[in-house]
Order: sequence, then C-alpha cells, then structure tokens
Amino acid sequence: MALYWTSTVYAIVAFVILYLLLNKFAFGPLFSIMEKRRQLVLEQMSMAETARKQASAQMEEQKQALQEARKEAYEIIEKARATSSKQADDIVQTAKNEANRLKEEAVRDIESEKDKAIASLRGQVAGMSVMIASKIIEKQIDEKSQEQLVDQYLKEVGSK
Amino acid sequence: MHLFPVITIGGIQFDLSSLIAITVSALITLVLSMVAVRRLSVDNPTKIQNFLEWVAEFVHNTIASTMPMNKVKSFMTLGMTLIMFIFISNLLGLPFGIVTETHQVNETLGITQADLDKHHGEAHIAWWKSPTADLSVTAGLALIVFVLVNFLGLKMNTKGYLKSYFQPFWFFFPLKVIEEIAKPLTLALRLYANIFAGEVLIATILMLGVVGTPFLIAWQGFSLFVGAIQAFLFTILTMVYISHAIVSHDEEHEHH
Repeated sequence: MALYWTSTVYAIVAFVILYLLLNKFAFGPLFSIMEKRRQLVLEQMSMAETARKQASAQMEEQKQALQEARKEAYEIIEKARATSSKQADDIVQTAKNEANRLKEEAVRDIESEKDKAIASLRGQVAGMSVMIASKIIEKQIDEKSQEQLVDQYLKEVGSK
Repeated sequence: MHLFPVITIGGIQFDLSSLIAITVSALITLVLSMVAVRRLSVDNPTKIQNFLEWVAEFVHNTIASTMPMNKVKSFMTLGMTLIMFIFISNLLGLPFGIVTETHQVNETLGITQADLDKHHGEAHIAWWKSPTADLSVTAGLALIVFVLVNFLGLKMNTKGYLKSYFQPFWFFFPLKVIEEIAKPLTLALRLYANIFAGEVLIATILMLGVVGTPFLIAWQGFSLFVGAIQAFLFTILTMVYISHAIVSHDEEHEHH
C-alpha cells in the first residue's frame, strides 16, 4: 500500500469544492426552507390559539345574546299580560260607569216627571177645587171664609 | 492483490483509481443534493427533499449532542457534507469493480517488470474502488479536520485553547501534543481500515466463485452497515474535536 500525496491533495480540494458548492446551492436553501417551515408551524400554532380564543369569546357572546333575548321575550309577554288585564279592567269600569250614569239619569227623569205630574195635578186640583167650591159656596158664604176654605183645602192637597 | 493504475507526470505520481473514485463520489453527492433541493417547498416537500431534511435533522441532533445549541448552526453544512460524502464514498466500492488484465509492462500505468514477475506474468489493474479504502484519501479528510479544529480553536477560543495544552499541569504538554496528533491519525486509519478490510473481503469472497454468493450478499449488507457507522463516527468525532477546541472548560461548566 503506497501513499500518494496527490490523492491526499485532490481529496482535500475536492472536499472543499464540494463543501462550497453544497453550501451555496443545496444546504443553504434547504436550511432556509426548514427554518421557514419552523416559522410557519409556529405561526399556525399561534393562529390556531387565537382562533380558539376568538371562538370561545364568540360562544360566550352568543350565550349572553340568547339570555338577553329570552329575558326580553319574557318581559314582552309580561307587559302584554299586564296591558290586557288593565284593558279588561278599564272596559269593565267603563261599562259600570255607563250603567250607573244611565241608572242615575233614569232616576232623575222619573223624579222630574213625577214633580211635573204633581205640579200639573196640583194646578188642576186647585182649579177644580176653586170651581167646585165657588159653585157650592156661591150663595152661602162670604168672600172671607171662602178664601180660608180654599187655603185649607190646598194645604191638605199639598201635603198628600 | 490488485494493482492500482499510477501514472507519473513530471515526476509526480497520480493514483488514477483514487482520483476517479473521489471525483465520482463528490459528483454523486453533489447531484443527489442538487436533485433533492430542485423543487424546494415549505408545505409540500418532495420525497427526496424529505429524505434530505431527515438527514439534516439527524446531523443537527448529532452535532447538538456534542456542543452548545447556539454553535450548532455554523457546522451544519460541514456535518452534512462529511456524512454524505463519506457514506457515498464507503458504498462506492461495494456494488462492482472494474478490473483490467495486462500481460505487458506498462510504464504509463506504473506496471513494472517486477510487478509482472510477482504475479506470474499477469497484472490485474483495479480502476474502481471506494475512495475511503485509500489511506491517502482518508488522510486528506483527517487533515482537513485537523486544520479546522486547530484553526477554530485559535480563532474562537484563543486563550482557552492554548491553555488546554497545559492543563491540568504544565508538564502535560507533550501528552497533549501527542493527543492532538493522534486525533487525525486515528480518524484516517479507522475509516481507511474499516472500508479497506471490507473491500479486501469482498475480493476474497469473489475468488470462491458461485459458492460464495450468499456470503457475498451477507458481507455487502454488513459493509453497508459499516459504511454508515463509519460515516457517522467520522462526523461525530469531528464535531467532538471541534467542540472540544472552541468551548473552553470554564464555559462548559457554566452550561452544566
């Protein structure tokens, strides 16, 4: 086995050239791609984390919105119920009032009709009495006693 | 054993089979990597890109096991180049061999009369082998590591690096020098011996003829395994040596 220093030198030169070429054209780009992929993975992981957080925040929001909607619906129903019962009360009240008013009016009408009837009756009775009395007493009593008699008669009629 | 074609130009000897093997290994490594990164994509990588990324991850983990995390990135290309080039080099001699036979003295290919006499008048010339089955080549790789380690140590960790030669006591200096020399020496010899032994055994099994086929299959499988292990070992030892040189011990204690 002989040693050839030319082989040694050639091996060194070949290796150095190989190193330089690979560094420039093969491994340099490869390492940068691997680094880029590492960055990409990191980025995507952080993106996934933010997406997860966003999703849970939105979920919370949705829940709250649902709660609010439910509360609102309940309130609306309650309000409708209150309004309806109040309207019913109002209608009943109005009806009652109307009835009372009608009743009172009727009573007042009756009263006034009665008064009118009494008044007209009184007038007629007085006239008739005077006519009767004058016919009866025409010859028997004087003016004075006649007047007395009429008044007494009228009093009796009024008190009835 | 086979002879290797050695030509002499201007008094300088060139081992053609080594030069061919180095060139082919380097080209395969280059083409494979270039094909892998041809359509780079962040979110839709091709299969071969996935494979290269797997290699990169593996090398990254290997380097990270030897030195602090923040220094790993600067040695990624070195680790990738080393492991891929050495692995491909180790496998190069496995699938086939190209051997020519000659009965004449061929001075241009370095075949002398003495060689012919030694091999009964005929010489087998091996044109194809693993470059790492040649000590000259592994020595070259180890030399790169040796220079790199000492250069990085001096540049990035001057004080700690120089101090490490005199620790724990000043008279350890000769031992430390021997250690520093032993590092590239063992790197080169380990890689060479493992791959060379594999190829020698393949050549030996081939002499068995048809009977040797199951042995050949088994041994080629094992050589594949050895090739991978040796490539990994060379890479991780390189990183350990670099880490040792650029990370001072005080700093290391802080990390732990």
